[in-house]
Amino acid sequence: MSDLDKAIAQLRACRPIPEIQVRELCYKARELLIEEGNVVSVDAPVTICGDIHGQFHDLMELFRVGGDVPDTNYLFMGDFVDRGFYSLESFLLLLCLKVRYPDRITLIRGNHESRQITTVYGFYDECLRKYGSANVWRYCCDVFDYLALGALVMGAGHDLAPIDAPFADPSQSNTDADDVEIELLNSQGQILSRFPRNRGGTQDTSQLSNTPSSPSQTKEQTPSRNGAPGTGATSTSGGSANNSGGAVLCVHGGLSPLIDSIDKIRLLDRKQEVPHEGAMCDLLWSDPDEIDGWGLSPRGAGFLFGADIVDCFNRKNDLSLICRAHQLVMEGFKEMFSSTIVTVWSAPNYCYRCGNVAAILELSEDGANAGYAPRSNGDMNRSNGVQSEKEDKRPGPGRRYRVFDAAPQDSRGMPAKKPVADYFL
Amino acid sequence: MSTIPHLNTLRSGRRGPRLRGRRGPPHAGSEDAGRFDEEDVEIGKDRIIQQTDQDASSSRMSAVSLGYLDDPFAKTLFPAGEQVPKRYPIINRGTYVRTKAIDKLVIRFLETNPNEQKQIISLGAGSDTRFFRLCAGKYKVRYHELDFESNVVPKRAAIRASEELSRMTLPSDNGSTYHLHAIDLRDLTNKSPPVLPGMSTEIPTLILSECCLCYLPPDTASSVIQYFTMNIPGSIAMILYEPIRPFDSFGKTMVSNLGSRGIELRTLKRYYSLDAQRQRLRLSGFKEGQGARDVYQLWESDEWTSKDERERIEKLEWLDEIEEWKLLASHYCVAWGWRGEPFEQAWKEVEGGRTPDEQRDDEVG
Ligand SMILES: C[S@@+](CC[C@H](N)C(=O)[O-])C[C@H]1O[C@@H](n2cnc3c(N)ncnc32)[C@H](O)[C@@H]1O
Repeated sequence: MSDLDKAIAQLRACRPIPEIQVRELCYKARELLIEEGNVVSVDAPVTICGDIHGQFHDLMELFRVGGDVPDTNYLFMGDFVDRGFYSLESFLLLLCLKVRYPDRITLIRGNHESRQITTVYGFYDECLRKYGSANVWRYCCDVFDYLALGALVMGAGHDLAPIDAPFADPSQSNTDADDVEIELLNSQGQILSRFPRNRGGTQDTSQLSNTPSSPSQTKEQTPSRNGAPGTGATSTSGGSANNSGGAVLCVHGGLSPLIDSIDKIRLLDRKQEVPHEGAMCDLLWSDPDEIDGWGLSPRGAGFLFGADIVDCFNRKNDLSLICRAHQLVMEGFKEMFSSTIVTVWSAPNYCYRCGNVAAILELSEDGANAGYAPRSNGDMNRSNGVQSEKEDKRPGPGRRYRVFDAAPQDSRGMPAKKPVADYFL
Repeated sequence: MSTIPHLNTLRSGRRGPRLRGRRGPPHAGSEDAGRFDEEDVEIGKDRIIQQTDQDASSSRMSAVSLGYLDDPFAKTLFPAGEQVPKRYPIINRGTYVRTKAIDKLVIRFLETNPNEQKQIISLGAGSDTRFFRLCAGKYKVRYHELDFESNVVPKRAAIRASEELSRMTLPSDNGSTYHLHAIDLRDLTNKSPPVLPGMSTEIPTLILSECCLCYLPPDTASSVIQYFTMNIPGSIAMILYEPIRPFDSFGKTMVSNLGSRGIELRTLKRYYSLDAQRQRLRLSGFKEGQGARDVYQLWESDEWTSKDERERIEKLEWLDEIEEWKLLASHYCVAWGWRGEPFEQAWKEVEGGRTPDEQRDDEVG
């Protein structure tokens, strides 16, 4: 067994590795990451994950639900650290997996992968507590500076790769497996519901709102205006014969008023601490919101952006979907703006306090149309200004969401002394 | 701690022997573990409830040290030599909102007919500094603070040790007095309840319960309120600060997390919403008016938190936890109700009525 495999085994057991090994690991990781562009290209199939926040035991649950590395390809959209009790183990494990299986796992940067934020939200203190010095925190922060800012998933299938899964509610098992746009599974791998592509209109909305949701979900938490938890049930994205799901842009936060094309992201100088403002900051801090155009963010960094901004960006860049994390959503995922953007959240019962479920998003390979070649502008110059006259939006790729609850309390080995004042007393 | 094997069975229905570390063995040195009975469990529970003031106090210290609140007395009442705790930004913000909202109601009361003699009775006052911040030397007010002896003793000692605070607690010419009562509030519900020395039954009285009555069994909490509304026939009002909304998933998690620390929020299910709180106050005799707002509303409303203040607070710390803040803050409320003057005049204009989004609560309740 190589040292790396040993380190992986040790971290999987939630035991930190020695400082010297961390240093070596971070060095190797940096060498690897330095080669990546600001926007990494990733081929489907891939499983996209949102915030982890040091909830190590829930990360293990994620791997149980989504499949282990390297069997499943993963894309993590940042915020590995802070808030949870095991930021260190979680981040180092992901980093080890990255070094061990560089083509199988992609890590991009979240707003918490920053020196300043980690000193407020726990990662710094955790390193100090676990190693007695800030060295390990420093090594990790150096790696943060090299993480990519986004990823572009290519070749995601319009159709979901079929899986052999039972229905949670057997009476639903006659639901048509054809032309499924969204499939929702629970942590036991049972299908909770399927949403066909050609939905839309009111009759489907009522059908969607009857969707069984994950056991711990409660509807009142995140009012799902239009239908099933997380899904943009008003979507009318169906109907197109196009077999490609189109490219999917993954970023931690969202868009920036300074960025109108993916190429502009590629031109940023990312190898630095996350600045307080500017394009790089926005990509990591912004949120979609029900507004027109741009708005000020209540977070004090980044911006709010409305459906029109997403629509315009997606058209210009030939995207079918933007996938982002950053915001707690009680149902684990939430599609907005006619399914042109989705929030994926992967930290169940966030901060051991919020009572939410988590989700991961699987995109299938474009298998239905094997001869299909991705658009030639795969990497650079995807959008060279010469926009196709096609006014139709690209149909979204087939999306399979798996939702899961927090790992059982006894398995997560809560520290004996719980931090006080989680609540107002 | 093998001397307390019966702990879990006695605390039926709840998980986790958290009590253990906090209270230590019930009869240190005693060989008779079997004598560990219900009463000991109650004492253990009480101790945990008493210690909630340490949370309140250190949250206050954290908010003060970062500039959220201006409170020179917090430090004096904070255990000497203890490190100033650092709380997360959302906790600091919540501490700020709750303190300011209650202050606002209290100040409006004091400022209405400012020369009139008034009375404030603070239940479970713990290390609260409101008397020193708002009242001492400024208004004609009899100020009573009630808490368990174990919390009153250190507070009294801290006041004595400080020249400034000692001076402030001396009776002043204008009729201001400060009274610190070591009392278990539940004793007020006895058949022949104790008399609170210095309590007037004749002057307009404000009862404060900042996260206190919620720890009592609901009927006991009602009886405590009744003790005051019966004894004081004239003008009387109440301000409550409490958790709400136990039935959604955040609320459920809150109940179970606090439960694992041995903290039971016993009135929470009965007074589960803003409307349930208003109704509670109405039925308790505060008939003339009732209001309630959750902490998130208090933060967002210009009337409660001015734009300037919001901007000032937002600059103090980066608050990345927007969704969490909304969740947490919507699970706590300030509720108030009154009868008679000067309360009617002081509070009738304060926004606290039902809002459309309270619909949600009806569906859950
Ligand atoms: C969470 S602390 C709040 C302290 C203070 N009101 C504040 O908000 O900063 C609750 C306080 O209520 C007191 N308390 C709870 N039950 C009580 C009872 N039955 N008798 C007297 N005090 C009680 C506790 O001792 C504790 O000091």
